[in-house]
Amino acid sequence: MTKLPPGRFARLALKVNAFLLIAFLLAAAFIGLVAYKQGWFLRQSPIHFITPNALGLNKGMPVKLHGFTVGSVSDMRLTDGGVDVTLLVIGDYMKRIPQGSHARHAREAGVIGASVIDIIPGKGSLPLAEGALINFEPSRGISEIVDDFRRQAVPAFNEIKAAMGNLSQAGQDITQILTGLRREVDQLPATHRAVRKLVEDAATATADLSFQTTATLDAVERVASTLDRTVPPLSEKLVASMESIDAAAGQLRKTGEEAQITLKNARPLLDQSESAAREANDVLSAAKRVWPLSDSFKDAGDGMLPIDSFEANGKGYAR
Amino acid sequence: MRVLAAIVLLMATACATPKPPAEPLAKSRLAEAEGRAAAFARSGDYASAARFYAEALRMATALENADAVAANAINLSVVQQWLGHNDEARRALAAVLDDPRTPFSERRKLQAELRRAILELSVNNVGAAAIWAAQAEQRCASLSCEYASTILNVRAQVELESARAAEAERLAGAAAEHAGPNAAERANALRTMGRARHAQGHSAAAIEPLQRALALDRELGDPRKILADLSELSRAADAAGDARAALDYRERSLAVSRAMSDGKSGSEMEALLRR
Repeated sequence: MTKLPPGRFARLALKVNAFLLIAFLLAAAFIGLVAYKQGWFLRQSPIHFITPNALGLNKGMPVKLHGFTVGSVSDMRLTDGGVDVTLLVIGDYMKRIPQGSHARHAREAGVIGASVIDIIPGKGSLPLAEGALINFEPSRGISEIVDDFRRQAVPAFNEIKAAMGNLSQAGQDITQILTGLRREVDQLPATHRAVRKLVEDAATATADLSFQTTATLDAVERVASTLDRTVPPLSEKLVASMESIDAAAGQLRKTGEEAQITLKNARPLLDQSESAAREANDVLSAAKRVWPLSDSFKDAGDGMLPIDSFEANGKGYAR
Repeated sequence: MRVLAAIVLLMATACATPKPPAEPLAKSRLAEAEGRAAAFARSGDYASAARFYAEALRMATALENADAVAANAINLSVVQQWLGHNDEARRALAAVLDDPRTPFSERRKLQAELRRAILELSVNNVGAAAIWAAQAEQRCASLSCEYASTILNVRAQVELESARAAEAERLAGAAAEHAGPNAAERANALRTMGRARHAQGHSAAAIEPLQRALALDRELGDPRKILADLSELSRAADAAGDARAALDYRERSLAVSRAMSDGKSGSEMEALLRR
């Protein structure tokens, strides 16, 4: 047997043991962390319900209260009335589940989300006791959902078809409304220019008025001094009138500025309206291609306007 | 096992639906322009409809799509006529009628010739209308095409304008026979027949076809034609000596005219009522 050289492997056993101990501690800490995250250290209270059909229910399925996970399905056993399903709810949350609560099978995002057990809180004032039996509302099948949707959608589709028919008969195409809207938007710059011109004219008028006011005041002062203050009340009234006119002109300028701001604010709104109308048009166009509605929107002919011999009679019967 | 997997894979590949090819941008723009033009025409905004039909015609020409060129040119001519722009309507039709190189279908050529005949007759170019109508008739293969009644109606109106009322009545009768399910052309034929009888002095006999035309036009819901029927009926009843019926037709035509906001026709009718 080869003898190990002294020094290099001194206290090897100690080092190996220390390494193993550290590895064990790390593994234990990891397991503890996982167990803590999984709620193994939390006290959990069982409640259960009996369902005639446990299709779609699985062990480990989350139990939610107001959309918040409060436990999971822990056990499922066949009984006389169907399947006895046991839910383990974290003890702290039991006090938030009042008596009279019931469970229902639901999906997180409508029809296609993950299955969960949703606890619907009851009206009772006391919390549920551990091991309590609650009612269960099974989920609706896809055929029931489709039937329900069809029941609700068919009248809506009929109304849409009728509305479209009326719209078409009245000749009030969305395009016409859009055209009207576009025409109004096109006229906005002209209106804007007109308002700006009005404001500029008002400003000029105000300046002229101020200048004239000053001149008039000078004249009045000269007259007043010449008359040696014989008519001071008249002068005071004149000054007051001029101030009123000046204030009115100022108000006019302010109103003009406000109108300009309003027009600026209205522009994006109209742009958005046009965009929304265009999107609505796109949605309608898409809807026209969808099967249940497509039959109602089939174009007549090959897109040709009518070739009508009546148009030859041009006198007095113009469109 | 591998063979089975290969067979399954092969079957899955065979069942796969190929991705539909994307429509070229220019074609989709052409379709969009045509759709918008048709929508504007339906809504009564003829100026915008003309703008989009012209745009569609330009795009169809760039794509060398003969059928779309013809269709949009004809539609543009219709809308331009509605706008009262007869020269522009004639120019639009020239894209089909004056282009011997493009291989337009016989049907499109016939449509363009018929439209030209209608256009010429509307501006009282009776001779030109007769020529274009004759060309369209020649292309209609012994009046077996879908436009037979329209061609016959145009020819009947040509004859009526040329003071050949008896021939106009005969052609209008043939047009009514050939109209088939086309209620609009049948009504036009009956109206022309009534006018032709009235022109020949058979005013009492004119009432019956005019009343049938009115009933058809009321079903079709075209106020211009209802107004025309009522006006012709009032004239025929007046000439037939039934003053009361004539007054009734005049009042009804006045109401229609007012509803259509046709001030000119309304004032004419008011003058007639005051007589």
